[in-house]
Amino acid sequence: MTTTAPLDAQARTSSPPVSGGGRRSALGRIRTGNGLVFVLPFLLVFGLFMVWPIVQGLWMSLTDRSLALRDTHFVGFDNYTEAFRDPDVWSSLGNTVFFTVISSVPLVLVALAMALLVHSGLAGQWAWRLSFFAPYLLPVTVVTMIWTWLYQPELGMANQLLDTLGMAPVGWLSDESVAMWSVAALTVWWTVGFNFLLYLAALQSLPATFDEAAALDGAGAWRRLWSITLPQLRRTTGLVAMLQILASLKVFDQIYILTKGGPNGSTRPVLEYVYDVGFTGYRLGYASAVSYLFFALIILVPLVQLRLFRRED
Amino acid sequence: MSATAATLRTRRRPPRETAGSPLLLGHGRLPRALAGTALVVLAVLWLLPFVWAVITSVQSEEDVNTTGLSPFKGAFTLDAYQQILERGNVTLWAFNSFLISALVTLITVVVSTLAAYGLSRGTFRGRKALLGVTVAAIMVPPQLLVVPLFDQMTLFNLVDTYAAVILPQVVAPMMVFILKRFFDGIPKELEEAARIDGASELRVFRSIVLPLSRPIVAAVAIFVFIGAWNNFMWPFVVTNDPDLMTLPVGLATVKDAYGIQYAQSMASALLAALPLIVVFLLFQRRIVNSVATTGLGGS
Amino acid sequence: MSSRLPVQGVPAVSDPVRSPSRRRFLRNALAGTGALLATGPLAGCVSPASASGASSLSVWDLFQGGDGMLMDDMIEAVSKGAGGAQGFDIDRTILDWGPSYYTKLAMSAAGGRASDVAAMHLSRLAGYAPGGLVDAFDLDLLAEYGVTEKDFTPAVWSRTRHEGTVYAIPLDVHPFIVFYDKKAAERAGLLDTSGELAPMGSPEALLEAGRALAEATGEAGILFGHVTDTAQNWRLFAGLYAQTGAAFDLPDGGPPRIDEDAAVRVVTLMTRLFDGRTNPNNLDYNGALAAFTSGRGGMAMLGEWELPTLKKSGMDLGAAPFPQVFDKPAVYTDSHSFVLPHQDSPDPARRREAHRYVAQILKQSLTWAGAGHIPAYRPVLAEPEYAALDPQSSYADAAKVAVLDPPNWFAGAGSNFQNRMCQPLQSALLGNTTPEKAVRQMVSEADTLLRQPNPVA
Repeated sequence: MTTTAPLDAQARTSSPPVSGGGRRSALGRIRTGNGLVFVLPFLLVFGLFMVWPIVQGLWMSLTDRSLALRDTHFVGFDNYTEAFRDPDVWSSLGNTVFFTVISSVPLVLVALAMALLVHSGLAGQWAWRLSFFAPYLLPVTVVTMIWTWLYQPELGMANQLLDTLGMAPVGWLSDESVAMWSVAALTVWWTVGFNFLLYLAALQSLPATFDEAAALDGAGAWRRLWSITLPQLRRTTGLVAMLQILASLKVFDQIYILTKGGPNGSTRPVLEYVYDVGFTGYRLGYASAVSYLFFALIILVPLVQLRLFRRED
Repeated sequence: MSATAATLRTRRRPPRETAGSPLLLGHGRLPRALAGTALVVLAVLWLLPFVWAVITSVQSEEDVNTTGLSPFKGAFTLDAYQQILERGNVTLWAFNSFLISALVTLITVVVSTLAAYGLSRGTFRGRKALLGVTVAAIMVPPQLLVVPLFDQMTLFNLVDTYAAVILPQVVAPMMVFILKRFFDGIPKELEEAARIDGASELRVFRSIVLPLSRPIVAAVAIFVFIGAWNNFMWPFVVTNDPDLMTLPVGLATVKDAYGIQYAQSMASALLAALPLIVVFLLFQRRIVNSVATTGLGGS
Repeated sequence: MSSRLPVQGVPAVSDPVRSPSRRRFLRNALAGTGALLATGPLAGCVSPASASGASSLSVWDLFQGGDGMLMDDMIEAVSKGAGGAQGFDIDRTILDWGPSYYTKLAMSAAGGRASDVAAMHLSRLAGYAPGGLVDAFDLDLLAEYGVTEKDFTPAVWSRTRHEGTVYAIPLDVHPFIVFYDKKAAERAGLLDTSGELAPMGSPEALLEAGRALAEATGEAGILFGHVTDTAQNWRLFAGLYAQTGAAFDLPDGGPPRIDEDAAVRVVTLMTRLFDGRTNPNNLDYNGALAAFTSGRGGMAMLGEWELPTLKKSGMDLGAAPFPQVFDKPAVYTDSHSFVLPHQDSPDPARRREAHRYVAQILKQSLTWAGAGHIPAYRPVLAEPEYAALDPQSSYADAAKVAVLDPPNWFAGAGSNFQNRMCQPLQSALLGNTTPEKAVRQMVSEADTLLRQPNPVA
């Protein structure tokens, strides 16, 4: 409930005028009542496609539900105890966290750098925005098709470049110690434009007064960046970082298409493990249990972030 | 999420002052040159994969299959594009993607806007609870629900139908939240006047609130459309019939008898990329605004 | 589509029997528009009108490359009405080989709107038939179209059943065999009087053959690619293990019934054979293939499906069933088969056509043999054209002693089971672990898999 507190506070400030005197006046006879009818369609789809699957998933995680069989048995917490002992759960969780770290850091820093550079007012705003943001508009399969080709061992651009420079080829997607980095590089290229736009919007809404004052005082560009602009962006950075971490934890698409989790499981994220045990291995019940364990982890991120920010304030 | 809300509210105050800040660099030549170089390097890095893909796509498969870094290894040809278009899969999937994304957007916008208005102005019992649940639901990643959702679709006998692809995507608590925050900011006096004139709530909503909300509704619509167009996991799980697949799902799933051919692979990738890139070129400002306003949960 | 037809001078087909679905029509229409956009109105013919009276069927398979193109040829032949029969209008879908194909196949069957016919490795049937993800074949109906049980090798046919009912019709048998360089084998004295690979009969003979071949080529003797491969080590192990006559049973709930002594003997032979001196022990799949085609080895242990690739190299190629070195003849094999994915309410007429389609395709399997596969439909083997296929006909006997993966829901081609069996074997071959430890790990991996609740029974 702590997460919703500020919203309630906000609701309090905004709702009284609505529910005020006019509502029960004589003029209100043909009104749509108390507004419930407006939320009904949402309630319907929310109940059907959000609440139902959440509850159903929880129930399934306590059963041996199978893709191939109709009859289902309650098995208590068997799936959860199995998941805790399943080394593949832990290794896929480890892969997920590793990917989150090596993708989130550049996704925040590169986006910030891009936004600062573009915001510096050099000519060609339109062109910079287009080049950095365009990849974000590509469907994931298009991105992976292009990068599969770049990473192609014999003919791909990456190894051709290395070859031209007289270096040995790299197994971008076949070497267990390299593959996840290759996935992260693709991900940075693909999605950095989103964070870039968020930063750019934040920069454009910053008051210029401090900056101007400092410039008049003769502070150099570098100095002003560190002591004025970046501190002003701290909140945005916290937010972008949290959204990015949440997005990276949910990685599935590009890895599934690019490597199917290989080589030898070294890039398999937990969501792919859910897909693998649930659909490939038919064990929907067990897959649900793994999903819920992962959900518990995801919930932790904003809580931790909240903690950090409370302390700072 | 309270952090999001809190931050956004504090950030809403300062108005937009400058579009770019030339001051940031000062007037020195060196910083300008450095920044310019860095930008160019980054832009080249970001455009290079596109360029490489384009070059590959306009060559014959034989020429693509020779080593070497030189961009053009053989004659220019549009063979790859012709083959892809003749096969018809990419056009069919683009049609599916368009139909599905458009319907998802339409339903999501209607349902979410109504709900946001109800949550903003309503007085029904349980309003606060519903708002709380909606905000909490923002935290639920849809990817985690694919297993029970697939189970549900099997129960409804909807697997391999458009409905199964579309329906679960129209639940967008984040969009409800963003719209509700916007509606909260609209002064109630306007509506009260209309109500006194005897207008129904629906009419108030349609003729007063909606016209004022056009930019935010457009931003939400664009955001939802891009999300649906690029959504992979759910459409991938719930469609097996290639005739029902969206672009990203079809391209990733259905293979060719000949095995992977890179010129054709790049040609289909670029064809699939085209629609949204064109839309972006046409509506750049709107899309940028949409991402900026909805990306952080509305501001 | 209609706007395109007059230009090409192809009369519009108006046939009441042929009723392509609305979606299929849409696809054709879109394809037509696409082609128009790309090439203008004078484009050549794109989709030939199918023979009249054809009924439409959707078929799924996982054949790409050489196999994929041969399947295209076979489908085209039956679509045109091979042998004077009615044709078909086939909507073929190809998915990626391996787990992704089998996942989609199961999900489409669970959803109830699956394709009419699908290809499946026979080794995977145990994951599909018990749970009702595939529907049974009507043998009477097949017999009407000229296909009966006696047309198949018992070793393979026995695996098409679940609880007495037939759920799969085999198209081929594709064993793991040996290819050899005829010249090198001759110099090494391994050929019999007819110029074929002579029987070996003992592990020592196989080791000796490796040494003789190494001498003959001046480089490696026997080549085997296995590093990071998810099936090769299992194929080699399973074939040799079956030759010991020991059982490899995977009962639900575990523990697996594996003769550990026999398994250790097999793994020991594998490590002695690929010792890293006479025969390299650290090749990956493509590395071994390249070494063999470029003459850096006298023999290669591979699936017969590599035949087209090997033939292209122009070497003097011989092939033989995997040599018997233990007590019992056995060759590790799988079989591409046809199944009827489960549909909630199948249209009887369409089901009938699906049976006819399978029968018709089987009769085209001489084409399929071009890829190296042994046709499972034996009447084709008896044709003189098949006998003339070299070296295909020299390993056709492998089908009689075919051994497939143990029938279990998690085993089979492209399965996690094969992958997990390969890991310890790879370690043993690379010298990172002993054969005893490798076997113990295989047993424990199998046990872990068996302890999972069986989701299909």
